[in-house]
Amino acid sequence: MVAASYRLPVKDELGFCNVFLSALGGDGANMAGKLLFKIGCKMFGLDGGFDARYGSEKKGTATDVSVRFCEVGTPVRQSGPTRRPNYLVVFHDDLITPLDLGRGLHDGAVCIVNTIQPPSEIRKLLRLHSGKIICLDATKIAVQTRSRLNMPLVGVLCHEIGFPDEQITKVIADQWPKAAEANLAAYAAAIEHLETETFDADDRFPLTEPTSIYGPIGWRNMLNGGTIDAIKFTTINRDNRIAGRGHVPKFDAAACNSCGICLTVCSDPGGLLWRQGRMEGIDPLFCKGCMRCVEVCPETKKGKALTTDYA
Amino acid sequence: MTTQLIEPPRKQTKNSTAPQQPWIGNGNEAVARAIIEIGYDLEGYYPITPSSDAGEEVSKAFARGETDIAFVVGTSELAALGICAGAAVAGGRVVDVTSANGLLLKAEQMPAISGLGLPMVLNLSTRDVSAPLNIKNGHSDLYATLGWGWMIFMAPTVQAAYDMNVIAIKVAEAVNLPAIVAYDGFHTSHANRRIEVFADREDVRRFVGPPPFKATLEKKGDRFSLLDVAHPRTFGPYMNDDLINAKVQMDLKFDQAFKLIPKIFDEYAKLTGRRYGYVQQYGDREASRCLVALNTAGEAAKDAVDHLAAQGEPVNLVIPMVLRPWPEAELVEAIGHADQIIVAERASQYGANNYLANELGAALQRHGNDARIIQRTYGIGGLNFTMDDALVLYSECGTRNGERGSKGSVVTDAGSLRNPKSEIRNERGDRPSFSFAPHKTYHGAWPGDPSYDPPDTLVPLTVNECSLNAGMNGKVNLKELSKMPVRFDKHSACPGCGIFTSLNLFLRGIDGHVVLLFNTGCGMVVTTGYPLTSFKVPYFHNLFHNNSSTATGVVEMIRRFQRRGELPDEITVISVSGDGGDDIGMDQVIGAALRNDPFIHFEYDNKGYMNTGAQLCYSGFKGQKNSNAHFGPQQRGKTTHHKDIIEILRGTFAPYLATCAESHGLDMIRKARKAQATVRAGGFAFVKTLSVCPLNWGMDEHVGPSAVEAAVNACMHPLFEIEHGITKITVDPEASGKRISAGEAFNKMGGAFAHLSKPEFADLLAEVQEEINRRWTRLKAMSQHELL
Repeated sequence: MVAASYRLPVKDELGFCNVFLSALGGDGANMAGKLLFKIGCKMFGLDGGFDARYGSEKKGTATDVSVRFCEVGTPVRQSGPTRRPNYLVVFHDDLITPLDLGRGLHDGAVCIVNTIQPPSEIRKLLRLHSGKIICLDATKIAVQTRSRLNMPLVGVLCHEIGFPDEQITKVIADQWPKAAEANLAAYAAAIEHLETETFDADDRFPLTEPTSIYGPIGWRNMLNGGTIDAIKFTTINRDNRIAGRGHVPKFDAAACNSCGICLTVCSDPGGLLWRQGRMEGIDPLFCKGCMRCVEVCPETKKGKALTTDYA
Repeated sequence: MTTQLIEPPRKQTKNSTAPQQPWIGNGNEAVARAIIEIGYDLEGYYPITPSSDAGEEVSKAFARGETDIAFVVGTSELAALGICAGAAVAGGRVVDVTSANGLLLKAEQMPAISGLGLPMVLNLSTRDVSAPLNIKNGHSDLYATLGWGWMIFMAPTVQAAYDMNVIAIKVAEAVNLPAIVAYDGFHTSHANRRIEVFADREDVRRFVGPPPFKATLEKKGDRFSLLDVAHPRTFGPYMNDDLINAKVQMDLKFDQAFKLIPKIFDEYAKLTGRRYGYVQQYGDREASRCLVALNTAGEAAKDAVDHLAAQGEPVNLVIPMVLRPWPEAELVEAIGHADQIIVAERASQYGANNYLANELGAALQRHGNDARIIQRTYGIGGLNFTMDDALVLYSECGTRNGERGSKGSVVTDAGSLRNPKSEIRNERGDRPSFSFAPHKTYHGAWPGDPSYDPPDTLVPLTVNECSLNAGMNGKVNLKELSKMPVRFDKHSACPGCGIFTSLNLFLRGIDGHVVLLFNTGCGMVVTTGYPLTSFKVPYFHNLFHNNSSTATGVVEMIRRFQRRGELPDEITVISVSGDGGDDIGMDQVIGAALRNDPFIHFEYDNKGYMNTGAQLCYSGFKGQKNSNAHFGPQQRGKTTHHKDIIEILRGTFAPYLATCAESHGLDMIRKARKAQATVRAGGFAFVKTLSVCPLNWGMDEHVGPSAVEAAVNACMHPLFEIEHGITKITVDPEASGKRISAGEAFNKMGGAFAHLSKPEFADLLAEVQEEINRRWTRLKAMSQHELL
């Protein structure tokens, strides 16, 4: 069924409405983007494209997805990620600064952000020239409704693009019959719990050109053959917390006898803090929250030393 | 044919400062002589006609004690070159010889060597690539290499094959690029000639200079050694967006080489009296007809030029001596006034204009020269090309006796050619420019900030820190193990990934300095995403399949440097591979085991090609779901039983083969200790672990330990070892009353397996169970027998 009356809310000079989803591997952004594109084509008679950033990204590493909509008949020529989004969906607010997600946004862009911060704070992070910022605690909604992060965020996106709610809910129910209830609940909850603020072009932040890929290491100073100096270019400052979605095992020192079994199963060495033959806790920056150590931690008189902090 | 000295060494000739002497031999022997005189550390070798005896001669000299080169025979051409790559990254000076199909089998390693910035020399005795199979001269192999990032030196004569070898390695090491020396198969490789050679090999070594660095790790030209344990580096990282910059850098090295080569030719001429240039121009530069031909055809054509000149028909002849870097201005200048250029090539670019013809045509166009290019493919499959053939080619572009170049052609000198009309705009200086190709630059690459210098965030591990108090006398204490520093951390693998659990545990049982080599797979992708590395010890990733050959090259260099007293540290080399790497690279693992090279090969078997999206691997179970083995009316998942790599390796009689599992940590540590002891005693050790893949097995992240334990208890991943052919089961679930069925284990192992315990697949499960039982019973029988 095609809703003939649908009109794209905004188009760039080539006739496209550009959506950019910034997420982590495992968030379901890729699946959500494909679904969004299918909805647009099948139900609203649109054309366009779905392009993801492909690499060997694993669960927990940054990824992005671009969906472009246009009317049928508009030539679809360019490929790859969109550089000038009209709609930005941010799965984790702590991706904004490192990935400079505000760059290249059109004026009047709509930004949907999973955050507990208010739109005014998010605007500062994005350095948004003008547009609408919609904040929601999608993580909480996903947990409460036993859905996934992609559902509340894409629900709000569909809503903002002007896809009628009843058609979106039908697609969700059809796509995941087993999880329909949870997903529909997430969708409904998201629409209800939004904090929205619109910012006019007030000269606080200029419009910016899209990010072009660059970095402090280029062809002048790259080491021979791309060699990495392991003394300087370590992963020490990497924050693995995001991969565990904030969950790390809880450690009860009183219950621990430093038996060492957890040491044999940790999937990212350094996650467990062992000093001088004693287990001292979890390093949340290293731990990805896989809970393998919780699985093997033996029951002592005082219980298990390692437990999960969620049911 | 044995080489023969026909005159006593002469002191010093008029034109040279290093005494030269006459010598008789063929092209291959001349190459071998140069290899021996240069003083290489290692030659990786695999035979192919017509280059075979270039290696045989080196081997013969080694047997006679005339050289101390490490002459290592691989299981294939690819393995041979992988051995070279390993030795080169460890600081060795390395060389290889090949032809035709052998070169194409090396093809994957060729751009990896140039991309890694490893200087070396590959002698290419040219031969046509089959099919139909032909062993004789053709340039189809040579032309395949044009874009591989190797310098290409041409050797039209036996003399040049010798000389270019000496020149090529010097240039290669000066700019960190590898070089091919191409000489014609049979026409040169088997042609016996009287040539001039250095009377004293020390003169060759002085000319070439010391190797870029010794194992004592002096730094030169920004090339580093894998064996520098005091300053660990990650070689061959996983690089996506930055790759264009690496390629700019490679092109810039060609620019360095382009400027350097004439100087080195010059230096060589002063030393030997034998002068080379980018181009040999022969005949009359004013003539209207010019023949361009490579190697022996070019040599033969000189007689035609003389013949025609004697008849009052001046013609020109151009023989390119270097193809990469491309000496464009020199070629255009050498072609001179000709308005008809016959480009004769011992190959055809089927369905298109020929290689050299295209490049020359474009060169002329860039220089405003509208001379006509006439293409002639000749000599494919070794058909001879003589003066008569050259005369025919000259005659085919007209017989305008003595006619000079027409108005159409423009002749300028090389200097002005290098300043073409439309110079690229590069005011900002942030785009690379190339003197060999002034119109060329890169779009979208970035120069970086040379002043960028992040603080040190790693203190390299010392031997003292990595000493192991646990694991002595077979006793292992987990608390003691916790004190062993980790060799890597903070990778970006999926939560619950089994690779790093297993590897980290295994490494806790390995003391002292460690060098890690990784085959392509999840393990390397998630640890070395440019520009950061998770590794605290030296690391090298070469290719998907040839880690074991690469490791051979590394341990050869360690042995060599230690023998010379240049490497004080004891280093344990561990080659890490997924089960996929040991599918595609099975021959090379077997080769390393057969050579009994002293390193540990550690396989993480996660039952699939997980890095590419869970395709089937031979190690997977029958009935397993894979992204290329689906379930439907026509197929029920993987159709064959699981590969047993240990039993495959049993036939190599390698000193230590074992399986281990994270669920049996102490058992794994004991095996790590034994594997290291094996390596220390000079032998090869292979250890395989079962590694869970929560993502592609469809299991919860936390269940890895129990899933692995279930597989062990189901005897699907039996824990045993084979020491010098004697099998011993180290964990016997039957004896401890823990034995479970395959179905029970599959249930724990996630969605890729769990379907097998459904009633509709009962027959499939029974088949898998029967196979598991069969293998387990067999293993027990061997374990109980004192000889097996």
